[in-house]
Amino acid sequence: MPSPLLSIRDLRTWFYTEGGIAKAVDGVSFDVGAGETVGIVGESGCGKSVTALSILRLIQPPGRIESGSVIEFEGKNLATLDDDEMRRIRGNRISMIFQEPMSALNPVFTVGDQVAEVARIHAGLGRRKAWDLAVETLALTGIPAPEDRAKQYPHQLSGGMRQRVLIAMALIMKPALVIADEPTTALDVTIQAQILDLLVNLQKEFGTSILMITHDLGVVAETTSRVIVMYAGEIVEQASVTELFARPHHPYTEGLMHSMPHIGHDQERLNVIPGTVPAPTNWPTGCRFADRCPYSWDLTLHDHPPLYDVGAGHISRCHLAKEPERRNQPHPPLVVEEGVDAA
Amino acid sequence: MNTAAGSSQPAANNPLLSVRNLKKEFPIKKGVFSRQVGAVKAVNDVSFDVAHGETLGVVGESGCGKTTTGRTILRLLEPTSGEIRFEGRDVRAMGTSELRAIRREMQIIFQDPVSSLNPRMTVGAIIREGLTIHKLAEGSAADARVSQLLREVGLRPEYANRYPHEFSGGQRQRIGIARALSVEPKFIVCDEPVSALDVSVQAQVINLLEDLQRDHNLTYMFIAHDLSVVEHIADRVAVMYLGKIVELASADDLYREPLMPYTQALLSAVPVADPKARKQRILLSGDVPSPANPPSGCVFHPRCHHPAKDAACTKIVPPLEEKEPGHFVHCIKQTPTTVSWEQQKAAGGVHPPERYLPLAAVHA
Amino acid sequence: MATEVARPRESPLGITVRGLLRQRSSRVALILLGVIVLIGLLAPLLAPYDPAAQPDIVGLKSLPPSLAHPFGTDPYSRDVLSRVLYGARLSLTIGILATFVSLTVGVAYGSVAGYLGGVVDGVMMRVLDALLSIPRLLLLLGVLVAWPHLSIGALILFLGLTGWFGLSRIVRGQVLALKHAEFVTAAQALGASRRRILVKHLLPNLVSPIAVAATLGVAHVIVLEAGLSFLGIGVPQPLASWGNIIQDGVDQIATLWWMSFFPGLFMVLTVLTLNILGEALRDSYERRS
Repeated sequence: MPSPLLSIRDLRTWFYTEGGIAKAVDGVSFDVGAGETVGIVGESGCGKSVTALSILRLIQPPGRIESGSVIEFEGKNLATLDDDEMRRIRGNRISMIFQEPMSALNPVFTVGDQVAEVARIHAGLGRRKAWDLAVETLALTGIPAPEDRAKQYPHQLSGGMRQRVLIAMALIMKPALVIADEPTTALDVTIQAQILDLLVNLQKEFGTSILMITHDLGVVAETTSRVIVMYAGEIVEQASVTELFARPHHPYTEGLMHSMPHIGHDQERLNVIPGTVPAPTNWPTGCRFADRCPYSWDLTLHDHPPLYDVGAGHISRCHLAKEPERRNQPHPPLVVEEGVDAA
Repeated sequence: MNTAAGSSQPAANNPLLSVRNLKKEFPIKKGVFSRQVGAVKAVNDVSFDVAHGETLGVVGESGCGKTTTGRTILRLLEPTSGEIRFEGRDVRAMGTSELRAIRREMQIIFQDPVSSLNPRMTVGAIIREGLTIHKLAEGSAADARVSQLLREVGLRPEYANRYPHEFSGGQRQRIGIARALSVEPKFIVCDEPVSALDVSVQAQVINLLEDLQRDHNLTYMFIAHDLSVVEHIADRVAVMYLGKIVELASADDLYREPLMPYTQALLSAVPVADPKARKQRILLSGDVPSPANPPSGCVFHPRCHHPAKDAACTKIVPPLEEKEPGHFVHCIKQTPTTVSWEQQKAAGGVHPPERYLPLAAVHA
Repeated sequence: MATEVARPRESPLGITVRGLLRQRSSRVALILLGVIVLIGLLAPLLAPYDPAAQPDIVGLKSLPPSLAHPFGTDPYSRDVLSRVLYGARLSLTIGILATFVSLTVGVAYGSVAGYLGGVVDGVMMRVLDALLSIPRLLLLLGVLVAWPHLSIGALILFLGLTGWFGLSRIVRGQVLALKHAEFVTAAQALGASRRRILVKHLLPNLVSPIAVAATLGVAHVIVLEAGLSFLGIGVPQPLASWGNIIQDGVDQIATLWWMSFFPGLFMVLTVLTLNILGEALRDSYERRS
């Protein structure tokens, strides 16, 4: 078993705010293998974006990566690496694609310049060579007439094109890992299809690993081979993509899947996960999903569940692994009081 | 739920809302004196009916004109031309007081939970405003009504004293819904009401909207870009592209048999939450053209994948015609069509119309 | 297990005040300003002497600070401390009232222009541009030289009427932006009249820039009035304002140092604290938007 490209152990990123310490990422561990596409799925506030930013050490105060966190990549622990070395890795060995293409691009430089700059910084290429490489990379992302487009400014391009520019910037140095943080959420559905298709093809061609962060289970199903589900700052389930969709174990994953309308599957009423995520400054001591869970019982309220092994390569942070018969005794979640409760 | 009700022809069955040839243009101004040099045809000759009690879904991507259509119908934006009839009454001809009165009956829910609530007003004041404007209730009667509305949307009545920023996105949407309900409307334009919310919160709000529709006999025009949400909630769906309705059919028919090539591409692009369904995808080339300069003839022709596409498509503007009962499509190449082969040949057509329905577009 | 909002009730005003109090500089400024305002209010009780009294024209002329006269006496044998205290009263009053005039005119002009838009807005803005091109000080000088013996009321009016230009621009900009906010559209959809939208939706959201402009405006007027009084065309004798106290000692400015030092100190403190508060308000409002 070849050693993983990225190995995260007990990552904790905490934010020291006036209202208390927000433990946005609270003990996350996972691996990403070479050439693998791993998805991290979860809703807002679960900690997936903070995890991504932590890998690249882009966390600003009052946030801090707590000591003891290990982010192992190519033989180094990124969590403790000094700034200069970290800068050599960003954009070069690990790069990131952001959600909002317009805010990620500098409006006063041409897109060609911005892509070329990455090569100038990391490969020390001269202007001419860097520009040529930038145009080449833009061509790879499917932008028509790249030599002309490279001379344009971000505002002259559509959303889909800008995202392709970001992808070019992320790939120009042929990094080992690309972190894509909701890369298609801000795009129209037909453009999203193009971009996802592009990412999958480029990944096959370059052998890059992709860490795909999204809230869209459809995107995950189509692009990833392994899925991590996050909730309340921790990993609650992890499995291969086929295993996760066929046999979701954690009630949150189940609930999420059933609350999405699917074309062609007529549902009278969408399943709902009542209540809201607890505040990150005050995680419950037991299972963090217990108050919204239809299967909870007193053990879950007091005992924080570890990650149980529930199948081949399938782990789930749920005490149902210990007492599976409780799944046959669903009840209204604790959070539902007098029907007057809402997210 | 009337699934067969409504059509885009003037209905014998008294639609609640009837829109004919609606156009909304935004002038493009240039120069020191702001001369008009062109126009963005945001809504370009749109016609449809909405029957009592139905939910008409309107889908399309950014720039297609769906939001503008919703606002123009309510005269939040003044239409450039066209006819809007609400229960037979001509909305465009109404003066200020008539318009104010009819605003009780036609309401709107917005997409952005943050900007749609006045940050300086308490939740109670926000919901009470409609009651005050239309003199429906005052003082403690108004307070009681506000409490009732809050409860109805799933919020605690004590929240009336709080400010919007103290609530989550989903809760703010509920406040917006309570506000719309306060004046007891018959018709609500839901302008992307769940797009800004998390998946699990979306489900809650969608269920709420469905419950309210049933309890209050509401009619919805549900605007969204998420096709799965629209299929779930809508009875009939209109697909818009560059300011035009390019397909109009019942939700079942649309998703089972999308006849407009754009709809086919749109449906095939939706990611399916099933890893085993590795499907064929129709990938559209290029980007959506600008509504300031729409293509000639059929607005979709530059990106169309229909095998019979030819020069006729660049010259003839297709009518929105009935290809199957209750199923209207904007395409001269999908059979049957009233645009005769002779007409098409005269415009340079070389491929006769044929029915084309790729598997990739169909969701079983 | 809390699923509902657990934070205490917080109005936008409460948030602003808390934000202000959080920084030490604003806390100190607020206290200092409070002291000065209190002094102004209580001047008749605090002043040891009548500010216009000249009990001993020869014996009490131009005396340096002493126990009997902690701020010394002026060339007209009047107690400087009492004059400075009364000066606080007058300068602050002029500052506040003139700013009030500016605010009223500025907000009205700016919100009408912004709300009506189109040609009306265009015309109003061009008029404003013309007015803005005249330097405020010169305008005031021109008026005051033409009518040299103005009452305090007229002075306040002129100061106010020359100080609204900048604020109206800001207000207009805010109104233009707010006009398109969705909550305004929502109000229209409910059937709200234009007047209602202006008063209930737009104006309350203008409070922040208005508060900032008011605070900084008062500081500015105080400085202006001091300057005009110093030139002899502001507050008339025998009334005391910080500016004309300095004026009284200008002939022997080096020897009669207390004539510039004490009023100057008060002025600096007042203007400084107002500026600190104004900037803090602006920061907190800009951070939130």
